Amino acid sequence: MDLLPSSEQEQIVDTIRRFLITEAPVSRLREHGALGNPDAFLWPQIGDLGFFGLSLDEALAGIGLSSAEEALVYREFGRHLISVGVFGLTLGARIAAIAGEAELRDRLLSGSNQVGIANTFEDLRIGPDSCNGRVHLFEAKQASYILLLDESGAALIAAEECTNRETVNATDASLTLERATLNNVKPICWVNADHEPVHTRALLLLAAYATGLAEATRDMAVEYAKDRHQFGKPIGSFQAIKHVCADMAIRTEAAQSLSLFAAMVFAEKRGDQDFQVVSSKIVATDTATKNAAANIQVHGAFGFTAEANAHHYLKRSHVVDLLWGDLRTQRKRLLNLPYSGE
Amino acid sequence: MDLISSAEDKEFRERARDWLNETAPRERRPHHGEAMREYDKNWQKVQFDEGWAGVSWPVEYGGLGLGLSHQLIWYEEYARAFAPDNHLCFVGLNHAGPTITAHGDDAQKSAHLKHILTGEKIWCQGFSEPSAGSDLAGLTTRAEIDGDELVITGTKTWTSHGHLADMQELLVRTDPDAPKHKGISWVIFDMKTPGLEMQPIEIMTAPNLPHFVQCFYDEARIPLANVVGGLNNGWSVAMSTLGFERGTAQIKDQIRYAFLVEQMIERARKRFGTSNLDNDEIGARLAQLRADMAAARAMAYMVVSRAQAGIQGSESSLMRAMVGEVQQRVRRLAFDIIGPEALENPEDDDWVYFYLRTYSTTIAAGTAQIQRNIIGERVLGLPR
Repeated sequence: MDLLPSSEQEQIVDTIRRFLITEAPVSRLREHGALGNPDAFLWPQIGDLGFFGLSLDEALAGIGLSSAEEALVYREFGRHLISVGVFGLTLGARIAAIAGEAELRDRLLSGSNQVGIANTFEDLRIGPDSCNGRVHLFEAKQASYILLLDESGAALIAAEECTNRETVNATDASLTLERATLNNVKPICWVNADHEPVHTRALLLLAAYATGLAEATRDMAVEYAKDRHQFGKPIGSFQAIKHVCADMAIRTEAAQSLSLFAAMVFAEKRGDQDFQVVSSKIVATDTATKNAAANIQVHGAFGFTAEANAHHYLKRSHVVDLLWGDLRTQRKRLLNLPYSGE
Repeated sequence: MDLISSAEDKEFRERARDWLNETAPRERRPHHGEAMREYDKNWQKVQFDEGWAGVSWPVEYGGLGLGLSHQLIWYEEYARAFAPDNHLCFVGLNHAGPTITAHGDDAQKSAHLKHILTGEKIWCQGFSEPSAGSDLAGLTTRAEIDGDELVITGTKTWTSHGHLADMQELLVRTDPDAPKHKGISWVIFDMKTPGLEMQPIEIMTAPNLPHFVQCFYDEARIPLANVVGGLNNGWSVAMSTLGFERGTAQIKDQIRYAFLVEQMIERARKRFGTSNLDNDEIGARLAQLRADMAAARAMAYMVVSRAQAGIQGSESSLMRAMVGEVQQRVRRLAFDIIGPEALENPEDDDWVYFYLRTYSTTIAAGTAQIQRNIIGERVLGLPR
């Protein structure tokens, strides 16, 4: 049992971290404002680096690593508030690969096409022959494809098959959001969950991403608490602030440890993978939201401004919570999963 | 990162599982007194006699000389077999023993380690004082050097099971003129030493039954050779002792509490019905605890992973802070699930005693608030 990344894994994290620090500083969100989807220009570069196929078999044109490496990378995506469109490409390429659509797979792996992601708005039902219901579409404006998934399976559909599309202002304004209707849409690719658990993988990556959000807000709060002086002292020397930061660190340690553990259990296809992954999503999204709120509080009035990046993390944490089953849904699911104490 | 266990690990796990399933005592553990002492000592002796005590302890002092991963497997199997905790052996096995192993001289190791493993000697702790709790380094119990002896005068309190113990790990001030962290020594104290008097202190779980004692030392003389880790070096010795408490043994509790949550889910389904539970506040709390217990267990694995990699630090405080509160929430929720029966406290009670007991999990071995100071200052680097 070893939850610490190996030196090879550290190198992978280092590669993506250095890339994101240069190409995707969080300050970019301020410049782009509500223009939306500011990260699409990153996709071909991330594709070149091979990150969309990190955990895909080499026989399927992937890098052939595991969900453990992928989870480590998604933590970095979370830290940098990378657009949730990244889930569309990672998971979309996998669906295309498993469905045998090699040409589509390669376009998605290279990041040359965009994949929007759909989340249920009202009564979404998906299947190999027909998808129906009303959805929210994230990052779908320039997307050629839309990713759909639930516990039964995962699909890619052509973006133009979505009807009644209506752009709405997003709570998380750095993402584009639309409402749309699916009326008897047949997927281009369909992967059954018993063949490949894409939904479980999606929750695992969301948990890793949320863990990254939580790490970033913990670090922001701690840094500010060291710099900001009041009453002639750094505010971090006061227990009222210090303990808020400590709570953020405690929650983050829980989210990190479980995210890594769940990623390895998933990679091993252990019988308790759903139990660990759903637990991980619950703990990580809850942590992301609580840390985001605490970070705003530690920053005081400055934390309430648009200029501070604190609000982006709060808004993104709510997106991550609602994607593919919110806290309430996941709790209900977890309560009814068989326990595995292995 | 990896989960894979070697063939040798698997073999050890299977042997441990078989042995524990066959041998672990099934009779109820008494909560107090001489009966509890006998029960704990016997169970420890059985473990020692059959070659299972001290998995990661040195072979020359009666241990198995194996690594942390084996220790982890042992604790996992121990919890899985519902083997009873022998709490009276806790201080010896998890504080005093590892401290003497790390800092003691050969004579101290030979004199004490094996007796801890065999259960022959029960250890207690003498750290806190009436005026030195969270500010432990402010302790004033004095030990004056007189030839080759230390003469101890002062008082210690919150000593769990002091009246049932043979030995005590004791922090005393040996240099009153040095800065407060620099004048402390960690010493081995025999509870039969003349000059020691004890006064019982009852606790909230069981009024009328002593749990803590307050110790009064009136010129109690012990050999100077009982100082462990060097004169006036007791603070750093004690800090490593507290570090052990936050270490690997936690996995046992994590697994136990996870099983407990499963029992509570069963009980709640019976009382409220499965479909009601899905939309109920109790159901939401149970699910959250299932997730939190999974996280607590992963945190224990993280602590072990860091220890295996030789990473020294205060990060294990993160797990301890989380676990103390989760355990309270588990027991509190059990109370809500049980309903009116929770107002009854029968002899064979399995709930009330343990619920009340969890009020100590955010106090003992450093309060939740002190933990947060440690995390803030030593993990996050915030100013004092």
